[in-house]
Amino acid sequence: MAEQDYSFTQEELDEIERLKAKFPTDKAATLRVLWVAQEKYGHVEPEVQQLVAETLDISPAHVHGVATFYTQYYKEEMGKFVLDVCTCLSCQLCGGYEILHHLEDELGIKAGETTEDGMFSIQSVECLGACGYAPMLQVTNGVYANNLTKEKVDKLIENLRNGNMPEFESMVMRQNEKRKKAVSE
Amino acid sequence: MPEVFIDGKRYEFEGKPKLLQFILDQGLEVPFFCYHPSMSIPANCRQCMVKVGTPIADKDTGEYELDENGERKIRWFPKFQTSCSTTVSDGMVVHTQESSEEVARAQKDTLEFILINHPLDCPICDQAGECPLQIQTYKYGPEGSRFEVKKVHKPKRVQLGERVTLDAERCINCTRCVRFTEEISETNQLTIVSRGDKNYPMTAPGEEFDDPYSMNTVDICPVGALTSTDFRFKARVWEMNQTPSIDITNGKGCNVDLWTRDNLVLRITPRQNEDVNDYWMPDEGRDAYQQFNENRVSRPSIKLDGDNQSNTSWNNAIETFAEVLEAHEADNLAVIGSPHASVEENYAFNKFFNLLGAANAKFTPHVIPGYGDDFLITDDQAPNANGCRLINLDESEADGIKAAIQNAEVVIILSDDLIGRDVFSAEDLDDKYIISLATNQTPTVEASDLVIPITCIAEHAASYINVDGRIQRSYPAKETKYTNRRLNLEMSEGRLDRYGTNFDNWVSEENKVDCLPVWEFLNHLGDRLGLAYQQDHSRTIFAELSNQFPALEEITYERMDEEQGVQLPIEQQEVTQA
Ligand code: SF4
Ligand code: FES
Ligand code: FES
Repeated sequence: MAEQDYSFTQEELDEIERLKAKFPTDKAATLRVLWVAQEKYGHVEPEVQQLVAETLDISPAHVHGVATFYTQYYKEEMGKFVLDVCTCLSCQLCGGYEILHHLEDELGIKAGETTEDGMFSIQSVECLGACGYAPMLQVTNGVYANNLTKEKVDKLIENLRNGNMPEFESMVMRQNEKRKKAVSE
Repeated sequence: MPEVFIDGKRYEFEGKPKLLQFILDQGLEVPFFCYHPSMSIPANCRQCMVKVGTPIADKDTGEYELDENGERKIRWFPKFQTSCSTTVSDGMVVHTQESSEEVARAQKDTLEFILINHPLDCPICDQAGECPLQIQTYKYGPEGSRFEVKKVHKPKRVQLGERVTLDAERCINCTRCVRFTEEISETNQLTIVSRGDKNYPMTAPGEEFDDPYSMNTVDICPVGALTSTDFRFKARVWEMNQTPSIDITNGKGCNVDLWTRDNLVLRITPRQNEDVNDYWMPDEGRDAYQQFNENRVSRPSIKLDGDNQSNTSWNNAIETFAEVLEAHEADNLAVIGSPHASVEENYAFNKFFNLLGAANAKFTPHVIPGYGDDFLITDDQAPNANGCRLINLDESEADGIKAAIQNAEVVIILSDDLIGRDVFSAEDLDDKYIISLATNQTPTVEASDLVIPITCIAEHAASYINVDGRIQRSYPAKETKYTNRRLNLEMSEGRLDRYGTNFDNWVSEENKVDCLPVWEFLNHLGDRLGLAYQQDHSRTIFAELSNQFPALEEITYERMDEEQGVQLPIEQQEVTQA
């Protein structure tokens, strides 16, 4: 495979300039620019991290530190769908690991791996701020699938295989259900 | 003056000190890890927590509200505060672990947390014995742990750079090392990667930690996570003795400690001196330990047949030296002092040949333009060019030295590898009689007809004047064949020295070099020549210097010790190119 040349287009550079202007220092724009890079390449492998560092004129070590802190940045090429299963406290208590292991069994890979057909990657991630609907997972930094059960997971995989992204689910805490009803009536 | 009450005792303070630093300055203690006085304060280890409150003052009158007992009413911060990041304010009341069981408990629990994934491998860890984590765990930590789950495993034996090895499992993520590269050396080479219990410091992918100051991170790492690749597993801290000294690898004169065991210098670490190097030193200076141990000139040697030197006795060396001097007029001597040698050595050396009628010794600075940075690495490669200037040695460029040699029959060189640093070549010395007084084997020593081994900075007490005109001194750290740690009160004794005997298997004679201080050798030579020359000790030589040179007036070894070196009233000289 020929070595890929990583660079931003003028348009992307303009976008980056706009982002930089929002922050007091260029270093502070690291998160956003990494994001621009990931949108473009689908990952932030070391070469892409290097590109971000050079573009912002900051140390590659710092960019690396930021990129590795967040599971949302993909430090290597991932499958078409990345299933981020939350195994943080609330989800863990509500069966997060069972969901994770079930997924692993179903897809024949372990957390941190990608299926051979390049369709799915699984990651075990920290709290995604949806503890109220635990256990949950997130699909490729996008929609959440909440209140998971094994059946729901199976369904999700099937849907994704057929190219159907789950719909965004509006969630309501149980204690608020009554109020929601009242509001919608 | 504003006041603060710590553990029930009143202290006055000025300015806006941080609480932890203020407490430490009073000689009191609060355990901490991430705080470092010369770096920013992230307050991330949470070990330094104390209970803090401020008195309630009336908004209008500013008067303190009192309770029924007439005591000031205190409004306590709702949670314990990290003392490292708390600014002391007037009337503040503080309880440390000494007066609050709650605080002691909080600190103990924090330690229990910090230790959850720590491998507790002190028995095989280099840091043991000088490890803040180990010490504070003993003092303030829990006796055991409630965490019985498997510890998180992380990378071990990671070669971050050529000189620093990481054991990520021992790291407590205090970020001192990262902050060092960001704030002090400014290479920004380190970062903390990953998150939660999986994080540890690392370089960017493919990048090497080749910071010229990288080993300072080993010193400031409060655990054994960062270790010196070179020193790893060589000695336990408590087996070594520690002797204050000066870095001689450049002109800055960083204050250092030499760590010796059985008369080998095993490592060099920086010694704090706000006016010179703060807590830091360049990696290069640490490598100097090798030159104190290895490749030394031991026993005099002499060229008898052709180019082969062979060892000879001191008596024979003195006799030969004396005969050479007797056979030549003083005008035919080229006497060359050295910016690599101390003030006392240069002085004693110069004075001796002055007495024989020779002109002041010449010397040439050892400067590599552009070599230095604006921090602790200097263009000047020698520790004492300013010392040579101060005692009026004759400063010349390389050409001047060359010319002096050409016109001489005998060349006498003090501790300077003039051939190695290209001042002249071995051919320039053809048909001259070359005498070297030297510490290490060098091309110059190799080209010499007579070699007198002399003590290096690790073996004598002597002073050096750095590029900024600060005079600082060394102490003997290593014994020579003729000195004895037990008898020389200036030498430090480690446990092995104090409790061992000559019959213990950790004691050997091998590491003692057969050499003499320059002045002691010259005493012998002076005796033989019937010169009125007697120098007993570097301290008395220095007293003589101080009488003779106004810039050194009222300067003594005691003052250098008490004030960590003394700034001399000398002009900063433009260093000339060698
Ligand atoms: S390696 Fe040492 S200095 Fe660096 S973060 Fe870890 S504990 Fe702190
Ligand atoms: S613990 Fe899973 S979303 Fe918060
Ligand atoms: S020393 Fe205060 S939090 Fe680390």
